[in-house]
Amino acid sequence: MSRLLGLVVAASLLASPLRSQDSLMVRLRRQADSLLGSWREAQKLADVADSLEQVRATAGSDTIAVGGLRIVVNPSPLPWRQAAELAWPVIDSFYGIAAEDLPQHPYIFRAVDPDTGEHRTVLHVGVEVPWDLDLRATTTVLLTTVTAPHVDPALADWLGAALRPTVRPQDERAVVFVLLVTAPSAAVRACFLGDIARCKDVLQVGDSTGLLARWYVTPAEREALVTEAFTDYFARGATAPSLQRCRQHHDDACTALLESLPPGTLPPPLGRSARILLVREALSAGGRDAYRRLVARPSAPIGERLASAAGMDLDSLVVRWRNDVRAARPKPLALPWWASFAAIGWTAFFGLCALRSSRWRL
Amino acid sequence: MIAMFRAVLYSQWKWSRLIVVLGTVAAFAIPLVSLQGAARADRGALQTQDLLRAVRSWGTLYPLLATALGLLMAMAAWAADHRGRHIHALTLPLARWRYVLLRFGAGFVLLAAPIAAVLIGSSLAVLTATLPPGLQAYPIALAVRFAFAVFVAYAVFFAVSAGTARTAGIILGVIAAAALVQVVASIANIDVNLFAAAQTVLLLGPGPLAVFTGRWMLVDV
Repeated sequence: MSRLLGLVVAASLLASPLRSQDSLMVRLRRQADSLLGSWREAQKLADVADSLEQVRATAGSDTIAVGGLRIVVNPSPLPWRQAAELAWPVIDSFYGIAAEDLPQHPYIFRAVDPDTGEHRTVLHVGVEVPWDLDLRATTTVLLTTVTAPHVDPALADWLGAALRPTVRPQDERAVVFVLLVTAPSAAVRACFLGDIARCKDVLQVGDSTGLLARWYVTPAEREALVTEAFTDYFARGATAPSLQRCRQHHDDACTALLESLPPGTLPPPLGRSARILLVREALSAGGRDAYRRLVARPSAPIGERLASAAGMDLDSLVVRWRNDVRAARPKPLALPWWASFAAIGWTAFFGLCALRSSRWRL
Repeated sequence: MIAMFRAVLYSQWKWSRLIVVLGTVAAFAIPLVSLQGAARADRGALQTQDLLRAVRSWGTLYPLLATALGLLMAMAAWAADHRGRHIHALTLPLARWRYVLLRFGAGFVLLAAPIAAVLIGSSLAVLTATLPPGLQAYPIALAVRFAFAVFVAYAVFFAVSAGTARTAGIILGVIAAAALVQVVASIANIDVNLFAAAQTVLLLGPGPLAVFTGRWMLVDV
């Protein structure tokens, strides 16, 4: 009897933590559901506010339609229509058939007097532009503020910047050339010299495991990264001794510190503009349907998406990108021809001034 | 005429040899110093930016040296005449413009030494350095730019030195008047920026001092 009683007591004692654990789970789930409900409610309110704001911002405005562009603007002397006629072919050739979806993302502009200090109502939708822009500047505004259709978070994260048509493609390539030559990374230098695997690493379009070793190959690079970019981050708390060791050229300490960084915070050795240029290459190689193929499979790896957009394998695309960058070396450091003539001319001019000086007649 | 030129050249060399020698040494040394450390075989990817930074920093000395050489050579060319109140020059059986031309030409000949020093120094520095891939050396472009800068500076200061005190006074007066107008305009809140306009005229496009602006890089991408 006492044994039976003992068993009952033991069973109830064992069950009590399980019951309390169960109630904790229920409570947490209830809290999560409540948070989700609040978030959804806030989302609805934000949508309503956005919609009201949009109505307020576009009140009394005209809509200009050129191709797939829809520009909602207040009355102003700005040459919106002519600018849209210039911008549309550039945008259309960049996004291809995906540009047909641009009417879903109308531009909202408010032209304002740049010289007045008059108080204006603050709008949270659209862009304010001064109304004295010329046609070229207005076209640039349209090209640099167009909303890229169907960009998913994975692509946006990888790019790190908006994917828009460029006004000066040659300058963009020259910038990437300078990055390839001057980036403090042996991997980038190897890419410049023709190692395509390294190019894929530094562009982060290939295998993304072990990024630290792929991006920062030498111990000196890892030490420089820690001591220059993350000194403040690692200088306090438990990582301070490791930082000290890293400064004393212990690569294991530097590597451990960099490996402890939260995912996605390791700075890539090659600037984001190189990635944007790679996407441009893919889009230019892939034809009018390239952009749609690029955004078609958001869950696929970036390398696959780029290859699919370009209609070629990734290695060929990267080779093409590298060749284009190498061909875009900035102009050599020579005086323009007119500067030489100007210098000779000014030398002769001042020489003549000296010849005509009046001292001889004194 | 050649004998006269030789005589003027010799006298000018005597007055300005210290300037020429020091200028030549500096012109030879700057390119070599600017690429110091670039000859190391262990230069890694990390050092490319440091190298460019050093070359850019040292590059600011070229226009300064060109200006200093032009100024000192022009002053040296006229110092003896100013001291002697031009009596020696007046006694010569020579038209004024020819005399000035001989002085002007002699200065150019003497300035060839620092220009050649920049070319030789730059070429030597580039030959002994191991440049990272992607970087290129521009010794000839640098020497040509330096030559033009020296010539323009020399011509400007030569013209000022050849003039009278009245001419110098007029030039200074114009600059002072511009400064005064600028100050008054600022006080009266009038949107006038004479210095910006002068900067545009002098330094940009085909302005006389445009050759001094821009990047003076012995090594660049």
